[in-house]
Amino acid sequence: MSGVIDVSRRIPEKLTFLQKLYIPEILRGMAVTLRHLLRNLANMRGLPTILYPEQKRDYSGRFRGKHILKTREDGTMKCVACFMCQQACPAECITIVAGEHPKLAYEKYPVVFDIDMLRCVFCGFCVDACPKDAIWMTRNYEMVFFSREDAVFSIDRLRETPEEVARHGYGYRPYYPGDGTTPPTDASLLPVLPGSGERDRLREEGIPLPERDPGPGPLNAPSQAAKIVRSP
Amino acid sequence: MTVAEVSTLSPAAEKLRERLGDSPMAARTSVADRDLPTIEVEPGDWPGLARFLRDDPGCQYDLFLDLCGVDNLRRRGQKTRFEAVVHLHSLSKNEHIRVRVPLDAANPSLPTVTDVYPASEWFEREAYDLYGFDFPGHPNLYRLLCHDAFVGHALRKDYAPGQRWFFAEEDMRIPEWAKNTDERAGHFETQTISIGPSHPATHGIIHLMARLDGEKIVRAETNIGYLHRCFEKMAETHHWNQVIPYADRLNYVSAMINGVGYVRTVEKMLGVEIPERGQLVRTILSEFSRIMDHCVCIGANLVDIGALTNFIYLYENRESIYDLLEACCGARLTVSYVRVGGLAIDVPDDFAVRCRGLLESIPKFLADVEKLVDNNRIVRNRLAGTGIVTKEQAIGWGMTGPMLRASGVPYDVRRARPYDFYDRFDWDVPIANDGDNFSRYLVRMEEMRQSLKIIRQALEILPEKGPVNSDDWRVVLPPKDAVYHDMESLIYHFKLVMEGIRVPAGERYEWIEGANGELGFYAVSDGRGGPYRLKVRPPCFPSMAAFEKMVVGGTVSDAVATLGTLNIIAGELDR
Repeated sequence: MSGVIDVSRRIPEKLTFLQKLYIPEILRGMAVTLRHLLRNLANMRGLPTILYPEQKRDYSGRFRGKHILKTREDGTMKCVACFMCQQACPAECITIVAGEHPKLAYEKYPVVFDIDMLRCVFCGFCVDACPKDAIWMTRNYEMVFFSREDAVFSIDRLRETPEEVARHGYGYRPYYPGDGTTPPTDASLLPVLPGSGERDRLREEGIPLPERDPGPGPLNAPSQAAKIVRSP
Repeated sequence: MTVAEVSTLSPAAEKLRERLGDSPMAARTSVADRDLPTIEVEPGDWPGLARFLRDDPGCQYDLFLDLCGVDNLRRRGQKTRFEAVVHLHSLSKNEHIRVRVPLDAANPSLPTVTDVYPASEWFEREAYDLYGFDFPGHPNLYRLLCHDAFVGHALRKDYAPGQRWFFAEEDMRIPEWAKNTDERAGHFETQTISIGPSHPATHGIIHLMARLDGEKIVRAETNIGYLHRCFEKMAETHHWNQVIPYADRLNYVSAMINGVGYVRTVEKMLGVEIPERGQLVRTILSEFSRIMDHCVCIGANLVDIGALTNFIYLYENRESIYDLLEACCGARLTVSYVRVGGLAIDVPDDFAVRCRGLLESIPKFLADVEKLVDNNRIVRNRLAGTGIVTKEQAIGWGMTGPMLRASGVPYDVRRARPYDFYDRFDWDVPIANDGDNFSRYLVRMEEMRQSLKIIRQALEILPEKGPVNSDDWRVVLPPKDAVYHDMESLIYHFKLVMEGIRVPAGERYEWIEGANGELGFYAVSDGRGGPYRLKVRPPCFPSMAAFEKMVVGGTVSDAVATLGTLNIIAGELDR
């Protein structure tokens, strides 16, 4: 704790004659700006401005950019369609339709997993919410669309690809190498449980299985405009 | 419980009850003990009580902080459908109190207190707009945040939020005084002009209607709400944690401080303590955000009066602070870094090194700006002696932060009610006495230096390693390691994500020092996973309300300079 300081007396209230003359003050100011100019000329690489898009800013490994859906070693998606990210999303931009996976060990998988990139606020809550380490973010911040429908990214564009990771690198994710946390065990490496197997094989053996729900169809959100009520 | 009854109140509430014993409406008021001493008063007695609270030497609640409505439609155990909630502060006693005015559903009306507290004018307009409260005697009771063609009152619980109201040009309300343009005053024909809504000098979208006599403004009225994004309504439909990205977008220039202010409110309701390291990281990043906010304010203000270079120098600070924030949480502007009970993720290993680097670089740019500006005759002519707010005016208009301090009142929440570690640091509250635009510039420059001082001390006591989050898994998501491998943690994780944090039913007003002044969050919980009602007390709202009075008598160019030093952030103003 300390006191209160009065800053109105920090600099003289009245300007001196020389200061009122403009010219000496202009020269003093020029000295400041010229110093910056010369320093920047000598150190062109250290400039705070960059020549985007030729030159890209190097963001940290926590950058919250475009999402990716992680895959298991066998290429299937880690997502088990638990709806946690959809529920956690403050912008309500994630739409999931769950389906039953043919392999019993995986149980559920997302038939539809859409993220509306125009609604998304890139807060990273979905990454925090995921209990399966299935959704990460990359450092890709260049998402350009020509229509609103284009901005709704489906599984095809969200699934992790090696090219994308090589190009942009991982961003926000639940654990970082060396910070003491370990990723979950890859389900594809788990031993096959007794009785589990392919769905079709079970059906052949006469075990009753529930019919798969086809879901409500394509899930592009209907336009808001249709719901608009004109004031009477 | 009436004032006359004997009760078991906290010392603060008991003292307030004793003081109220002298008031003429003592028999009809009651004092309750909540997070703040709370007076309950009938609507008819409210102006009398307000006058008593302001003028009585035992009370002296001179700073009007906030007035908001609450709709009790879906809340259990409340007597009336509506209530108006007022928060007041006493500068001499350094105390906050709350006044509740219960209002019935059929006629939610309470007399205005604009003659007692001029600051209440816009708050009352807002309550009229969003809750439909009537304020008999109010000088200018029109909608403030919603547009003039809006039907209904958006924050009432029975308002259907899907409705859309279109606004056409002819719906625009033009004040009576502005319609008549050929009135003659002095030498020139006066004319009414619109400055804004889209004008480079209005910093966001603000509409100023001004009646000019030559170049002098003789009357003005501001019109806001162009950036109203229903923050408070959205908060009611989200979980406590999900409000954080919305809170970021209030004062988006210093998003971190908003987040800290909001989660502190929720943490106090829950009674959660966060570890020292988490608090210190929040403090450090909040102070950096404050520097950023002041940099933007001063830089933009100087651009408005024609000094572009300073803007570039100050923005370089901002750029480097953004780099630090991005390294911590992955976003530069809307950080969403805090969580109820701690932080989203621990800071990177090189956090202290980066902070020390910034402590080195920032003062250099500040020194350059001071060299260019302090003794510059043009800047002095434009800023010194313009936009003057006297001490009495500043208090009456409910200003806080640098605005109030530049008028000579050393009220800083970090000093008046130290939170986190502010009482352990050695720092000064800068004040100035003139109350003009130049004083505000000087106060902000000094505050940046004091913030650097605070950061330096915070870095010294920042533990090298340690938890940043509370270990209460009913509040904080369990560590990912545990979620992946441990069933119980997964259940906690699931409950938190799907149902949100269960905050005990009750209400809380929690306030911190935002970059513009006192940033208060008034939260009401009904025990669900999300807020029942969340009201922000935006620090620049009272300053903007006073703007139309401050500019009268000055020229248009003075008004531009004054608007710059008010530091209006439209996101926070319009919510």
